Amino acid sequence: MIGRNYLFILFIFFASMASAQTASLKGQVTDAQTKEPLTGAFVHFDGKNGGSVTDAFGRYSISGIAPGSYKLKVKYVGFTEYEEKVTFTAGQAATLNVSLSEKTESLKAVKVYGSANPESEASSRKSEKNADNITNILSAQAMQRSPDINAANALQRVSAITIQRNSGSDEAYAIIRGLEPRYNNTLVNGVKVTSPDPVSRFISLSIVPSDLLDRVEVSKTLTPEMEGDAIGGTVNLVFKDAPEYEYFKANGSIGYSGIFFNRKFDDFNRGAVQTQSPADRFGASYKAPPGYFSRANLDFTKKNAPVTSLFGFTYGRRFFNNKLGFIIADSYQNQYYGTNSQFNNAQLDTRPGKGFQPVISDVANRTYSTQQLNNGLSGHLDYKFDEKNKISLDNVFLYTHLAQTRLSIDTSILGGNGGRVGPGTGTVFNDNRSTIQNQFVENLKLTGKHVIANHFQFDWAGVYSNATQKSPDRADISINHLINPDFSSTPNFFDNISRIWQRNSDKDLSAIANLGYKTGLGEKSSLEIKVGGLYRHSTRFNTQNEYTLRPTATANGVKRPFTDIYNADWIVYDVTGSLASDKANYTAYENITAGYGEVKLTLDKLDIVGGIRTEGTVQGYDTHPVVLDVRSNAKKTYTDLLPSLQLKYKLTDNSNVRASYFKSISRPALFELVPTPTLGQATDVTGNPLVQHTVADNYDLRYELYPGKEEQLFVGGFYKNIINPIEFALNDLSGGQLNTSPQNFGTAKVAGAEIVYSRYFGNIGVSGNYTYTYSNIKTTKIYTSTDASGVTTSVPKLQDRPLQGQTGDVVNLSLLYKNDKQKVFAQLAYTYTSKTLALVYSNYGYDYYQQPQSFLALSGEKQVSKHFTLTAKVNNLLNTPTTIKINNLVQSKDVYNASFNVGFRYSL
Amino acid sequence: MKAKYIYKVIAGFILVVFAASCKKAELTTFTKIKIPSSSPIQPGNISGFLKGTLLTGQTYTITSDITVKKGDTLASQPGATVVVKNNAQINIQGVLQLLGTKDQPIFFNSDTNQPGTWGGLQCDTAQAITILWTHIDNTGGPDASGSARGTLKVKKAINVDIEDSWFTNGQDDLMAISNGAKIKLLRNTISSSGSTDGEGINLKTGVTGIVAYNVVFSQAGSGIKLETSSSKPFPQTEVDVYNNTVVAVGWRRGSAEPGRGTSVGVNAIGHIYNNIYVNCYHGLELFTDGDIVHTTYGNNLFYATVDHYTDLVDPTLQIDIRAGFYPAGAAGTPQPTDLISTKVGELNPMFVKFDGTVAAPNGFPNTNDFRLQNGSPAFGAGNLNFHNGLGNQDLGAYTTDGKGNQH
Repeated sequence: MIGRNYLFILFIFFASMASAQTASLKGQVTDAQTKEPLTGAFVHFDGKNGGSVTDAFGRYSISGIAPGSYKLKVKYVGFTEYEEKVTFTAGQAATLNVSLSEKTESLKAVKVYGSANPESEASSRKSEKNADNITNILSAQAMQRSPDINAANALQRVSAITIQRNSGSDEAYAIIRGLEPRYNNTLVNGVKVTSPDPVSRFISLSIVPSDLLDRVEVSKTLTPEMEGDAIGGTVNLVFKDAPEYEYFKANGSIGYSGIFFNRKFDDFNRGAVQTQSPADRFGASYKAPPGYFSRANLDFTKKNAPVTSLFGFTYGRRFFNNKLGFIIADSYQNQYYGTNSQFNNAQLDTRPGKGFQPVISDVANRTYSTQQLNNGLSGHLDYKFDEKNKISLDNVFLYTHLAQTRLSIDTSILGGNGGRVGPGTGTVFNDNRSTIQNQFVENLKLTGKHVIANHFQFDWAGVYSNATQKSPDRADISINHLINPDFSSTPNFFDNISRIWQRNSDKDLSAIANLGYKTGLGEKSSLEIKVGGLYRHSTRFNTQNEYTLRPTATANGVKRPFTDIYNADWIVYDVTGSLASDKANYTAYENITAGYGEVKLTLDKLDIVGGIRTEGTVQGYDTHPVVLDVRSNAKKTYTDLLPSLQLKYKLTDNSNVRASYFKSISRPALFELVPTPTLGQATDVTGNPLVQHTVADNYDLRYELYPGKEEQLFVGGFYKNIINPIEFALNDLSGGQLNTSPQNFGTAKVAGAEIVYSRYFGNIGVSGNYTYTYSNIKTTKIYTSTDASGVTTSVPKLQDRPLQGQTGDVVNLSLLYKNDKQKVFAQLAYTYTSKTLALVYSNYGYDYYQQPQSFLALSGEKQVSKHFTLTAKVNNLLNTPTTIKINNLVQSKDVYNASFNVGFRYSL
Repeated sequence: MKAKYIYKVIAGFILVVFAASCKKAELTTFTKIKIPSSSPIQPGNISGFLKGTLLTGQTYTITSDITVKKGDTLASQPGATVVVKNNAQINIQGVLQLLGTKDQPIFFNSDTNQPGTWGGLQCDTAQAITILWTHIDNTGGPDASGSARGTLKVKKAINVDIEDSWFTNGQDDLMAISNGAKIKLLRNTISSSGSTDGEGINLKTGVTGIVAYNVVFSQAGSGIKLETSSSKPFPQTEVDVYNNTVVAVGWRRGSAEPGRGTSVGVNAIGHIYNNIYVNCYHGLELFTDGDIVHTTYGNNLFYATVDHYTDLVDPTLQIDIRAGFYPAGAAGTPQPTDLISTKVGELNPMFVKFDGTVAAPNGFPNTNDFRLQNGSPAFGAGNLNFHNGLGNQDLGAYTTDGKGNQH
């Protein structure tokens, strides 16, 4: 379409093959400027089906060509299209190497809307350079450069993004600028895909195959057209349109978690888990007999951990003159992982002379064994009516099945219930739990884009999203025994069994519409005006039904000993369960109405984007039944006016300076408002209806230098004034579970600076970024001290501390090695995060901090044939634990060990 | 003659004076006016939000949870009877005044009269609690989440005055009082409560006051437990625990978690005197994390009716009750003023009637009479003034000065 500018070197070697009837063509596609091979370029003959896509080393081959003349085309995103007439004779084996040159940037201002389907204009660096706001982009191109199987791995190399992995699984969540996930949005095609899991509010990035992604956009500042609830930023995973050529890729691998080299996998009989509670099956008034409750799911057995398996494929093509296209991808992960955890209860040491410092009162050792099966099925369908009209349908369906055994051994070492005279004595509590969780997430989005006239564009979207979690029969048994001073032990006593059937669901319906007007203002200037709005209606419910099984007492009323679960004798204490009276049963809703007006003014070297967005929120809940001891219902209404102004000044052709201000918010999640405990694996959250939404003023400044292709240097600073950040305060920790509540503690000041650098030296690429963030908030704490006359008082005292979840230093370093001859890729990724406040506690100087962590991951692959590549990956090479400390006291320490993966990749 | 006359005059004079002094005193009498009670509650079924007065001689049936709102008072005249159905509970956010008398006590019980069949008095945010001469039986049925409910719970810094009342067959903590309440728990009898866990009197987080002249019999966990909170160690719990008779407590939790006659832990302060502990799994235990510096104790009597108790669960386990009077590993040590039995028969407190119970089931009938026979070593062994003028010449809940338990 645009004038072709060939900067190529063309070599055609002819070789005769007398016996063959058809011809073949092969060669390599490279960047004319850097001589780098280009991966994913499409080589085909005009008007003919088929063709070839260049592999990781830029190589392609086409065979079975009937003799004749053809017009050969080579297309690659961000590069000018190559076209050449070639003639083949029977049996000819031709070689054609093509080098493409990058499209030069148009200096002219764009004054009209062109196509509804603009090609991704350039590489990610150019997108970053040209973006309206402060953005980091990882393009499909960059993803193809390195062996990333899913979005999480790919994101590891984006500036100021940290991938949070806490459980030893492949689960991964994005942290932007060291701000924890609650301040960030993870979007799929611009839409929030919420997770039904209350602890992690977004879907795991590891579930989205990178094959499906056109690009990943990380926005650290917001323009008015973007949803306003992101303070740290937004990660947007943008799916590809279906490619013009038939596309098929598959990968598979097997792996093993290093933790199971040292111990067995604790399993239970999954078949014994009853999906329905007695009340579900027989009605709310049914009196459950003791025999209703299965036993085998509390019979914990040790076995060798099965091998983890991962499998995925992506397939896509177009029909009807390329008007209709689809691309579908499935990602299946069946993982077995474990955690060895030390979990200590801490309290103030009130013993004389101890100065009221925190001291460990109980120690617990826990082992988690988890099987997690994820299946993510994503599909994209697009239909291009013509150049000016396009609709697309995106669907993401995720299924997660989690089966987890938690074995816990807990003993008090300080006072408590006594019986302890020294190490190895005292009462020992065993608390063992089996859990199954099934999650279903369905997200369907229909979008349309229409260029109405040259100056007007209209786009719209409708989104349906439904996330459901079912946790049937979470079974928990506690038993205990006493180790006497002479180290003899009493038998185990059967204490209690609890069985909980829980399910919850989040449903969203959204409608979005935008209208744009664009016009020119002289030679180098243009004006674009956009208005639009969004309406979203969300509902959530939670249902919980708990049955308590208590041991049948012996003749003298004493607790029974516990030998094994099959011989345990119990009565059902609440025969009808807690369904009718449990205050954890609630419904909640959220309605968001948003509208904006945005103006983009391009004046030669200066770009100004500004405007205002308003977001009205109504949130509320009702508990069923109405209960007296908590607030049974609440409705919150608030409206925020969110101005935004972004300035970009083009200093030179390859450098920009940017400044921006925007206001943004963060809403409490619905479960965070409901004042009843939401049960988690190790942390229960009791909501707080009085918690207020967070409002932040954000200021950013950035200098960008693009010295050469694939090279970049960004230096930036930011300041945020965050009013009412929502932080989690620790209420208590009992029974080996933390109980926390969301609270507002005041206003936090956050300031930081970041530097990003990436460059390639021949076969080696280096990319690194560092973010330093200072944050401060003051909280009133209880300060206990003894004066000279021996009188002890507890008084309120203000304490300075960082914002919860804010990491001070974030370092990402990655080293990429690529050898064309050997067809080898290798990547070493290093991540460092400094000390982070995990939980706020009510006593002075007594907060819970997660300790600094360094992670190292190594991955590599070698192409062994045209279609096959072998892959290998080791995560957590340094065996980094997650440690939480109070001052120097270890409160908890979770160890996951390294995990190993080997596999293959097949591409058509 | 003359002398005789003088005698007559003197005698006459004395007679007159005597007669004058014998003259009937002036009598003022008041006719008792019957003052109608304010807000009388009509007998019959009651439920929902309630305030007013339960009337003498009337019977009330609670059919579902009752709530007394903040600012409201639920009072009871002597001799009212309340029957609770459907595992209902009574929530007190206002004031509770159950004013029974010795002759006309008040009764609260479930319709089934089985242990653990109603929800008790949930007074977490009450404004004041007074309970006199009231029977509260068979509490502790499962709560909304399926856990056993404590019989009487208070979580606020209010006055809690419970005297001369009877509590039997609860399922968990019988009295669980915390958050700075000021308590006066006098002359009550707590029997056979806690299924396989639960303390008799569980005091936490800055509670202050007196626990005296109570009888605690066959409680699942500890008889009287003092703690401050580990997260809020100040202000401290500080309680005078004296002249209580604590018998056969601490067995039903099993030998992995023995219960104590009295325990002091987590920065609490106890002043523990003149109590009698018989057949308790453990007697008096001062945990190392209690405020041992400020805790004082002595003049307590410890006795066991058997040398060993054979654990029913594990017959090889022979529990030496006497070894647990002051359990090993704790901070408490025998005091010179204590009466500590070293064999069966020695320093027997000589209860008027005692069935010799050691471990017994929840709901076990308490047919004992823990008054002391003449010649009991408990007489005269008490500390008269151990703290703030508190004390008694005798030990145990029943004392010769008549200040003790009236049951």
